[in-house]
Amino acid sequence: MIAQQIINAVSLGGVYALLALGLAIVFSIVGLINFAHGELMTLSGYALLAALVFGLPFPAAVLVAVSCGALAAVAMERVAFRPMRGASVTSLLLTSFAVSSLLKVVFQNGISARPQAVAMPSWMTGAFSFGDFTIGVGPSISIVVSALALIALELFLRRTVTGTAMRAAAEDFNVVRLMGIPASRIIATAFLLSGLLAGLAAMLWVAQRASVDPLMGFTPVLKAFIAAVVGGLGSLPGAVAGGFLLGIIEVLLQATLPAAVAPYRDAIVLSGVIAVLLVRPQGLIPAVRVQRS
Amino acid sequence: MLSVEALKIRYGEVEAVRRVDLAVDSGEIIALVGANGAGKSSTLGAIAGLVPAVSGKVVFDGVDITGLAPEAIARKGVSLVPEGRRIFAGLTVADNLRLGGAMHLPATEARAREEEMLELFPILRRYHRVKGGNLSGGEQQMLAIARALMGKPRMVLLDEPSLGLAPQLIDTVFDLIAELRRNGLTILLVEQNVALALEIADRAIVLANGEVVLSGTAKELATSDLVRQAYLGA
Repeated sequence: MIAQQIINAVSLGGVYALLALGLAIVFSIVGLINFAHGELMTLSGYALLAALVFGLPFPAAVLVAVSCGALAAVAMERVAFRPMRGASVTSLLLTSFAVSSLLKVVFQNGISARPQAVAMPSWMTGAFSFGDFTIGVGPSISIVVSALALIALELFLRRTVTGTAMRAAAEDFNVVRLMGIPASRIIATAFLLSGLLAGLAAMLWVAQRASVDPLMGFTPVLKAFIAAVVGGLGSLPGAVAGGFLLGIIEVLLQATLPAAVAPYRDAIVLSGVIAVLLVRPQGLIPAVRVQRS
Repeated sequence: MLSVEALKIRYGEVEAVRRVDLAVDSGEIIALVGANGAGKSSTLGAIAGLVPAVSGKVVFDGVDITGLAPEAIARKGVSLVPEGRRIFAGLTVADNLRLGGAMHLPATEARAREEEMLELFPILRRYHRVKGGNLSGGEQQMLAIARALMGKPRMVLLDEPSLGLAPQLIDTVFDLIAELRRNGLTILLVEQNVALALEIADRAIVLANGEVVLSGTAKELATSDLVRQAYLGA
């Protein structure tokens, strides 16, 4: 029982971490909190549904869905955010709200306001025994996928020129441009990565629920936003730490709170967030960013 | 090689540069001197594409580069070493250098170029794996110059390389600038330390309140009454 709860906690934390990372990557480069991030997740969910309906085998459908998330993120930047480059933080924020609302309405009117069932393969919902413990296959896969995604991202940021340029751009974007590295490439890559991570998170989210609905992305991305703030907005290690922390605390409270207090779970979690921010206003692992006039 | 014609820059209501004209020939060091707020850094910023010009023209090698993006200007071979060094503090010295050459040279050539830079700046070899933010001011200035040179630029814009450095380090940096010129690099140097700038430059331009008030060979300016009274404290 305890082992299962720990697996669930880490698994949910991993999903939050992937989403928070996507928000943090974009924020660290363009200073935009992309509230349409949740819709990237929803879109990937629908893409998975469509691919399965068209009869693609499950792995291929997942590949299609994740690619759709990534491409949609790049398209979102091209269409909505690039014309706003250099605009104030408020204008960018409102633009992201507009994109988010627009996509939600498109999902509601174009597909359906009601949840659509997604046929997940039966082995995903199974469980296996490990000594005395019974462990769910879904949450275990979720942990493995999150861990692999984090490692791959870390390697990309450390080992490749574009990754290094992105870390540099988070510190001082203009100087990266002085090196001859095109701003558009850095920004497009940031959105591509955030879309990939949203797509992966969507797969893990849908795997646990076996359905998609137009508002699917809202709650997890709200949580991821909280995680990113707790971790230190714009800090990538902070986003990961915040994501895992939030997921683990949520599940453990769920498991341990007495029934009378259980409805207050979110209130307790958010009080914890406030307490953390009172002690560390810059978050757990603050972002290194050089502020210039 | 580079010419700036009737450049005008405004930040909101404030006119930072009223009118600047200057020309830099291949292989020379031109010093742009003047008091704080005279418009020196803004002029460099406009040449590099970081600061938009209200009007005027920047021509490099016969090509009009006015209004191009900074990355496009960098790839034409003009490299700015910005004021305050602005090295990437969270990246290692090696990564700082690598980014400098990433867009200009193929991988093998970039490695050879990095080796040249480490020969030129031995201190950077010692701290190759150290984060830029852990270097001292002088070392960071070396890194900023080396990073700008990684892409084999044809012209370097140096903004206040002596700022905040200890006197003996200033000498080291200026010896290096002289050596770069001997190797054929064209340099536009912005410097508040006028005496130092005139020592190293071929020609100099004095800016005041966003306008050119005096220009000539470095020798002429060093003996001119205006420069001696206003900037050299003689």
